[in-house]
Amino acid sequence: MRRDGNTRGPSLLVRGLFVLAALLAVTAGIARAQPPAPSPADLELGKKLYRTNCAGCHKWHGNGGGGYGGDALSLRHTTLDREQIITTIGCGRPSTGMPYHLRDAYEGDEKKCYGLGPSDLSPGMVLAANAFLRPSEIGIIADYVLARVKGRGEPGYDDCLEFFGTGSRVCNIFKSPVEGGPAAAPPGK
Amino acid sequence: MISFRNRLLGGCAAALIALGFAAGGAYAADVTQERLLNADQEAGNWILHHKDFSAHRYATLDQINASTVKNLKVAWTVQLGGIEGGGIWSHGGLEGTPLAEDGFLYVTDGWGSVYKIDTHGGEGKLVWKMDPKTDHDWAGAIACCGVDNRGVALWGDMVISHTLDGRLVATDKESGKVLWQRQIANPDKGEVVTGAPLVVKGMAITGVAGAEYGIRGWIAATDLKTHAEVWRTYTIPAKGEPGSETWKDDHNAAANGGGSTWVTGSYDPSTNTIVWGVGNPGPDWDSAYRPGDNLYTDSSLAVDADTGRIKWHFQHTPNDPYDYDSVAENVLADVNGPHGAMKIALEADRNGIGYAVDRNTGKFIWATPFVKKLTWTKGVNPETGKPMEYDASKGQQIYNPEATPTRTNKVTIICPGNMGGKNWPPTAYNPKLQTWYIPVIESCNKVTVEETVPGKSYKSREFFTGGGPSNPIKITGSVTAIDAATGKITGKLETPFPMLGGLLATPDLVFAGQPDGHVMALDAKTLAKLWDFNTGGGVSAPPMTFSVDGKQYIALLVGQGGAWDKWFIDGTPELKKIAPSSTLYVFGL
Repeated sequence: MRRDGNTRGPSLLVRGLFVLAALLAVTAGIARAQPPAPSPADLELGKKLYRTNCAGCHKWHGNGGGGYGGDALSLRHTTLDREQIITTIGCGRPSTGMPYHLRDAYEGDEKKCYGLGPSDLSPGMVLAANAFLRPSEIGIIADYVLARVKGRGEPGYDDCLEFFGTGSRVCNIFKSPVEGGPAAAPPGK
Repeated sequence: MISFRNRLLGGCAAALIALGFAAGGAYAADVTQERLLNADQEAGNWILHHKDFSAHRYATLDQINASTVKNLKVAWTVQLGGIEGGGIWSHGGLEGTPLAEDGFLYVTDGWGSVYKIDTHGGEGKLVWKMDPKTDHDWAGAIACCGVDNRGVALWGDMVISHTLDGRLVATDKESGKVLWQRQIANPDKGEVVTGAPLVVKGMAITGVAGAEYGIRGWIAATDLKTHAEVWRTYTIPAKGEPGSETWKDDHNAAANGGGSTWVTGSYDPSTNTIVWGVGNPGPDWDSAYRPGDNLYTDSSLAVDADTGRIKWHFQHTPNDPYDYDSVAENVLADVNGPHGAMKIALEADRNGIGYAVDRNTGKFIWATPFVKKLTWTKGVNPETGKPMEYDASKGQQIYNPEATPTRTNKVTIICPGNMGGKNWPPTAYNPKLQTWYIPVIESCNKVTVEETVPGKSYKSREFFTGGGPSNPIKITGSVTAIDAATGKITGKLETPFPMLGGLLATPDLVFAGQPDGHVMALDAKTLAKLWDFNTGGGVSAPPMTFSVDGKQYIALLVGQGGAWDKWFIDGTPELKKIAPSSTLYVFGL
């Protein structure tokens, strides 16, 4: 789940493609039947996978936004359901910075992603992720996003602790917002 | 802090230098200002980040030369640590320059652990490791461009280092015990520290990173005896200070104006002047948010070493809409050429142009594009040193309109790409040949502008960039040689990958590493490749050289560092196969 170099929303054509893709995904077998509710261990694994593969662009809180990762979309505000999230992770989003994470997403004759095969792709139209994921890992990331990210409001202290734990000072700013001026931390020993 | 014994030994070292024993490289002594001033004469040692205060990265050792380099082979390696991830980063990397003193190397990993390695006897033996326990998530979540630490400084009987989470740490050179530490940058504000400290007159000079997170940049000096801050000079002037008139907006853009200082600078003792590069303005790509020239971003800045007072500046890309940092080191050189004898400062800018200015005044002398493709400007005005299209009457500069990202030209291809024609990897300068070698990234990339909204877009510890880059175009590299007296390009060796590691010059060679793992030695005059070795890991660090037991070695840290594999890899998809690693390689004849 990486960068989106295009800050504008997807065109009507692309949006239509996604809707169509979601439908195709069901029939093509990428989507699976609704699995059992994820366990706490699944969600922890999902967080770990999200952190490694998604947080660079979508940020730890899932709100996305600009930066070196491009304008990744907000997963807190997403309306995608589980299968659509799975499709987006696995297939990426053509013509944007969102890469595909399924190794064979665009290989072979199956055209399992948006009905596109190798001969349909122009150079750079789809980006491959740095590291591919197994289908089960993609499902666990989707479960994590649905359980811990989607639909949540602005990130706060509790969200931060939930993501990072208490071993770091990373969440301090939610307790003590920083004003301007020089660094004021005292000397340490 | 410094014992009588050490003071005595320091005096002896100065005497040895005065007597001309420096080339032997045997110094059982503290590091003093006198030794640092003569660091270039300690042939077998490398006791400053850039080898000497002038940032030449030139060593006079010549056992390894154009005739013998073909016999260069791995002498030994040491596996280091710091490969773990943190924040938004899946792994740490190595970008440091080892320091060498009396046969001992001092190296760092990306998280700031310092390793002392004994190189006597033809092998590397770890003496101690100092782990500063860097807060990985606090720092790693706001390190825009990797888990990096570029090395240490030496002073007295201490090893001085930085941590990514903003500390200055003094470690006992003998025992590896932490003597004291001081929080100098504040990650809560988006500040991290990646550069090596520069020690001048007993003060550690620190630069800061974080322009992509809306910091207000600075350079700070810490007294290494009292541990107190001596001065802190902001690179974005406060209201009413000189330069503040170049921030013409009505929403205090200067408060988050960027101007990072994350590459170690140089020092001219003849004028007691520190010359330091300053990075891009923030937000990076939405220049309409911050009309005006945005001083002192994208500038070389000269400051008084005792007070931090700004003496002069030279700005390369006013109102920068490209992310064309000028954090690069300034190489201080005395040259003779058609213009007579000149004392110059050389800077290879991210905007793809190499500059020479008078290092006493900042007055422009020459400029030369060193990349193959440069589209953002028609060139540099030979009188002013400004881009040809620069118009002082305008708040927002539109250089080449087709290659200038703006709110109306939202998606744009720029050349060089935003990572620059040359990023942090240091140049090298051969004073005998008066030749300056630049590690070049030959690139174009795509920039998309996102409008920044006053009062809404800035959030602590969040990217504040006004858009983002992507890399649909193949990126390569080169080593480019320039005559420092004339500014003319004298050679260019094209490389399959961008130069992400920096250079070392010796009397007749230039050494360089590549992100695909290859290390190479080039002929200093022709740039012909004379030697090549595949380390098997990504090279993102500069080579250096030292001698011990009468034998010369080349040392190099190997371990893919920086931001390339996260933000720029699509321009070099072949590098996806390079795995993170963390190894010190040492080569000998």
